[in-house]
Amino acid sequence: MGVEMNEASLRLDECVLRFMDQLELLEEKRERLNSLIEQGWFSMSKARYSMGNKQVSALQYGNEIEPRVRVNVRTLPNGETEFDTERVELLKSEDSEKDLKRVEDIGPKEEGVRRRGVTKEEVAKEQPPPQTLISKETIPPSRGVPQQQDPLKWFGILVPQSLKLAQVSFKKVVELSAEVATLQSTVLATRADLQALMADKRAAAALQEKTPPGLMDRPADSQTDTGLLNARQADDNIPPSDS
Amino acid sequence: MAGRGKLIAVIGDEDTCTGFLLGGVGELNKNRKPNFLVVEKDTSITEIEETFKSFLTRDDIGIILINQFIAEMIRHAIDAHMQSIPAVLEIPSKEHPYDASKDSILRRAKGMFSAEDFR
Repeated sequence: MGVEMNEASLRLDECVLRFMDQLELLEEKRERLNSLIEQGWFSMSKARYSMGNKQVSALQYGNEIEPRVRVNVRTLPNGETEFDTERVELLKSEDSEKDLKRVEDIGPKEEGVRRRGVTKEEVAKEQPPPQTLISKETIPPSRGVPQQQDPLKWFGILVPQSLKLAQVSFKKVVELSAEVATLQSTVLATRADLQALMADKRAAAALQEKTPPGLMDRPADSQTDTGLLNARQADDNIPPSDS
Repeated sequence: MAGRGKLIAVIGDEDTCTGFLLGGVGELNKNRKPNFLVVEKDTSITEIEETFKSFLTRDDIGIILINQFIAEMIRHAIDAHMQSIPAVLEIPSKEHPYDASKDSILRRAKGMFSAEDFR
């Protein structure tokens, strides 16, 4: 068996073992992903049970949907692709705080002690014209970044704990799915390596078959021949014995 | 930094989409085009396939999550997708548990070890 063939076999074995390890890891992560998804559904079903059948459905999705998680994709030199999730934090800038305060100011219109026994006409006179209030409410948020809302709020302000748990489960699923995607890419890259190595080994085997067996062993034999020759020469140089 | 990252698209039944949207993957872009498709009983296979293909062509999508039973409907389109980006992940649905033997990636990997290869 040739040296090239041996090396090709060793590299192939190493690659197969790596491939098996990756497949095992992929299966493990898949199982975790599937169980987390199931957990999420279970929590969602519980929330649906307590909130009502139609309260957790596609009808409640918001009008403006902004992603709160993004994936950073990197292609490595060996052909693998790496996926990393990056969670976008909710805006906590000064602008958003101001907005929150303004909303609170507008909310309770009748602050302080209510005066009773006053006619409606008098109240209307004292109140500021409604246009100013409307203009305050309709001021578009003067920010470059769009306002982000927690998707949990689509389903109400006071949502049950189970819906929050469902959200936590699905957040984990999103992170895990990026890991699974990376592993899938790794598996496919290793598979390509394996195919290349297998082709190498076949080529080496074909070369060995084509070469006549005697030709392959020639160097080793010639070495032995020269060895024998040297031995003979050495014998010749031995001074004759006393006889 | 946030602008550079790609999105995760979802094609699935109502519960799957709701769950992942709760997880924060949803987006409605400037053209009001979502990165998810809620597949209902009356959703046609053509519509699913077209949405899948549109997700493949969008360069802002990094991963496509699809329920395995829906993936079965458009298997030819999934098998034809050989690029690494976007990555396609088959996930279980409430009524259809995950079957590894149907997964396109694992089937490709399994195809590696045929008797032919080890002759």
